[in-house]
Amino acid sequence: MLKIFVLIKQVPYLHNLEIDRRTGTLIREGVENIINPDDLYALELGLSLKEQYDGEITAMTMGPPQADFALRECLAMGVDHAILISDPIFAYSDTLQTTLVLKEAFDNIKDYDIIITGSQTSDSSTGQMPYQLSEALDIPLITDIFTMEIKDHDFYCHRNFGHESQHIQTGLPILVRTQRHFNEPRHISLKGIKRAFEKEIEMYNFDTFNCPDYLDGCNQSPTRLVKTEKIILKRKNEVIDGTTKDKIERLIHIMQEHGIERIWTGMSQDE
Amino acid sequence: MSDITEYKDVWVFIEIKDHVEVHECALEILSKAREIADQIGQKLIAIVLALDAEQYLPTIEDYGVDKIIYLSHNDLKHYHERVFTSLIYNLIDKYKPSIFLFPSTEAGNALAARLAYRCRTGLISDVLNLELSDDYGNNLLISDKPAYLGNVLVKIICPSTRPQMCTITMGTFQKKKLKKKDVEIEEVEYNYDINGLKIKILGAPIRKDKPSSTLSDAKFVIGGGHGLNSKANFDKLYDLAKYTNGQVGGTRRPIMNGWMPEHLQIGISGETIFSDLYLSLGISGAIQHVVGITDSKTIVAINKDPNAPIFKVADYCIIGDANEILEELLDHYRVPE
Ligand SMILES: Cc1cc2nc3c(=O)[nH]c(=O)nc-3n(C[C@H](O)[C@H](O)[C@H](O)COP(=O)(O)OP(=O)(O)OC[C@H]3O[C@@H](n4cnc5c(N)ncnc54)[C@H](O)[C@@H]3O)c2cc1C
Repeated sequence: MLKIFVLIKQVPYLHNLEIDRRTGTLIREGVENIINPDDLYALELGLSLKEQYDGEITAMTMGPPQADFALRECLAMGVDHAILISDPIFAYSDTLQTTLVLKEAFDNIKDYDIIITGSQTSDSSTGQMPYQLSEALDIPLITDIFTMEIKDHDFYCHRNFGHESQHIQTGLPILVRTQRHFNEPRHISLKGIKRAFEKEIEMYNFDTFNCPDYLDGCNQSPTRLVKTEKIILKRKNEVIDGTTKDKIERLIHIMQEHGIERIWTGMSQDE
Repeated sequence: MSDITEYKDVWVFIEIKDHVEVHECALEILSKAREIADQIGQKLIAIVLALDAEQYLPTIEDYGVDKIIYLSHNDLKHYHERVFTSLIYNLIDKYKPSIFLFPSTEAGNALAARLAYRCRTGLISDVLNLELSDDYGNNLLISDKPAYLGNVLVKIICPSTRPQMCTITMGTFQKKKLKKKDVEIEEVEYNYDINGLKIKILGAPIRKDKPSSTLSDAKFVIGGGHGLNSKANFDKLYDLAKYTNGQVGGTRRPIMNGWMPEHLQIGISGETIFSDLYLSLGISGAIQHVVGITDSKTIVAINKDPNAPIFKVADYCIIGDANEILEELLDHYRVPE
């Protein structure tokens, strides 16, 4: 049976982002948490592979205890199992540290065929993790796929790579990174919600892994954030209000100010 | 962990674009890296891996390098993650650079992330500014990068591991010609066995050649995004362009949707525009796109989502349906029959 793992992250919903001016950190209180939007495409791919190839799908996340809620959502969408990797010692892990913890997790799990990730997280937006996990587990990372098929434990796909479109084959296990809008993530059904609360979420912590000391997120992460600033904008940011007609009139006026006029391309002179 | 004081010099990965030319972004980074190297009194070294790499060296020498280390081989014609990662990792291991900078491109991001893992060091991506400071440690690099979808700027350091690695977005720094005397050139022998690679390519790949575009010279650019919803709607941009002497461009999404040819992409992996007016329709404002439009004098954005990040970089913000407004504009500018 195809063993599918989808990596997700819980992120703050970035609607009304505020920064504590004194400490320079993000105010997280009262901010709603959601599944990282890009990860929904990864989940959808995992679920459709499960259906197509009779697989088993596990959603996995590393995060604080409340990330449990994001996993419940995954269960409601139809994943079979959920794993929460959580330990105070993993807090403040940067990408490298997170990768090292995930490597420990997969070394423990041993039996995996396809690991799927989204393209970026909306909070830290480093986009580095899939590459690093590919290094850590020494398995190929396939990105920008547009068709795929699994046959006799081999993975075939068409993908874009640089300026080429390639047809490739590779053995499992592999890591797949989904791109945005690659598919249409499904909605959660009522039945799904009920199911989500009947399932157990498996908990992994530092001791489960028999972790090496270097997995201390706070003290061993190589990068350190020293300051956060709200971006200062130099553009006018004038909102054009009014009815659609008002907006269009103003827009045409702005275009005029920039020397844009209707040009005569209709009939040529000789005709 | 090895002693970080053993690490010295500033390295820049020179990406070769489409195996024909040195990527502009690499030259921009060289110019900034020159300043940093001068401040810490160390060398600026360019790293080149390519087929017939020698042909690129004169261009690189014009941008302030003290030394070029290069590998030249047929297998290096295209970026290959395992080959490039291993070969460059060997160089890092041997020479121990203190700072290593990469263009923030698909290859640059991938390579930097893999190398950072192998070196167990930090990587800061899409850096918008770099400075040296003694605030947190001796001559430490402080990198500014956008986070939370470009809503905030964070300053990040990498205090105790080396190299300090960053990827840098195109257009962040200005390239400046500067020729050092006696540039040292070192060729490193290629030795990678590609037979062990796990991914097999079946059949000849289809090359998607890029015709050249006139976007960077256009005075009026009309940019379309995924929000136009269909090819039929996207096609109307060409009509508007025809009536107004504009030039159509767009984000990566319409390319993926099959609405627009690849050479009209604006942004980090496409063109940078310098228009008087940029009119953006149904574009969210991803940083990869935005870096290509900020040199436009005026930016007008139309998006139905009042929170779309594009509004943060626009002079005029129109919240509304791009297709409806496009239709009205066509009515206004359409040449009477
Ligand atoms: C390494 C890398 C390099 C990249 N390089 C580039 C690059 O060079 N150039 C580039 O553009 N992208 C690039 N991208 C992709 C980039 O990250 C974004 O995915 C892309 O720019 C988004 O395109 P979009 O704004 O058209 O689509 P979306 O992000 O899907 O946005 C669509 C927008 O349309 C709005 N909308 C929907 N319907 C309507 C309507 N009826 N009227 C008005 N608005 C509507 C929505 O509110 C939304 O904001 C790169 C990505 C990576 C990872």
